[in-house]
Amino acid sequence: MNKIDSYRFLGPVTAKLVRRWIDREPLREIPWTPLRKPLNESTVSMLSTAGLALAGDRPFDQDGERRDPWWGDPSFRVIPRDTAEDDVRVYHLHVDTRHTEQDLNCTLPLTRLRELELAGEIGRSAPSHFSIMGYLLDPTEMLERSIPEIILRMRAEQVDVVLLAPF
Amino acid sequence: MEQAGLSTVTLSPIPDLTASVGAPRVAAIGYPLGRSFGQPGDAEGQSAVLRAALRTVETAQRPGAVIDLPFDWPETPSQVKASSTANPPIATLLKRRPWLLPKLLSRNPPN
Repeated sequence: MNKIDSYRFLGPVTAKLVRRWIDREPLREIPWTPLRKPLNESTVSMLSTAGLALAGDRPFDQDGERRDPWWGDPSFRVIPRDTAEDDVRVYHLHVDTRHTEQDLNCTLPLTRLRELELAGEIGRSAPSHFSIMGYLLDPTEMLERSIPEIILRMRAEQVDVVLLAPF
Repeated sequence: MEQAGLSTVTLSPIPDLTASVGAPRVAAIGYPLGRSFGQPGDAEGQSAVLRAALRTVETAQRPGAVIDLPFDWPETPSQVKASSTANPPIATLLKRRPWLLPKLLSRNPPN
């Protein structure tokens, strides 16, 4: 199998950013929880960085980012498992959102996951799925406030497996 | 999340970056940003990617494992780049003030 090229679809500035940001990352110990049950008995939740929110929910703050382009909204939103795809909005100014607006499953495959549940390939799709908005030059607030709350909800819903889906 | 007892896998279109921040299991996908699970309307393709990403939780044997998923994107990189409509405020700002680019590279915003 050929090695996936991380830079294949990136423009020159983004590719340069990614290389620089990789160089800045320290070596660290990688946390690890072994899978406790087979996938077909596991509860699966998903977390997308696309800036997804329910149509009736608070949008991610794009005006704030337009005022200060160095800033990104560090909050998170819940997307319930049975949400109709048309009820989800995409708030992300850095990635082409058209495909996700056309079909949410390109980014947060709620329907596909329910199909795997129905087919018995996973235990179940968790009651809640989540989104943050990934353009955060300083992720401190997201990491200190949003992620712990997401983890609490996942644990309350007895999630076993989390599929993280960077946008 | 792992410390809280959750087993994670990241479906990443930029696996080098994801691996660099210490993601425990990475399913690498050679798709453009904004559609990591596949094309709009391609339910079968989306399912295949989702299934393969989830299976990585079972197959990854060691912390930091990166597993390449066997999917090819049908468009060339130039087709993908030519059709993108994203226009981030930071790009507009840097066009006006290109000397600020090092601040973005170092993730060290000006006050």
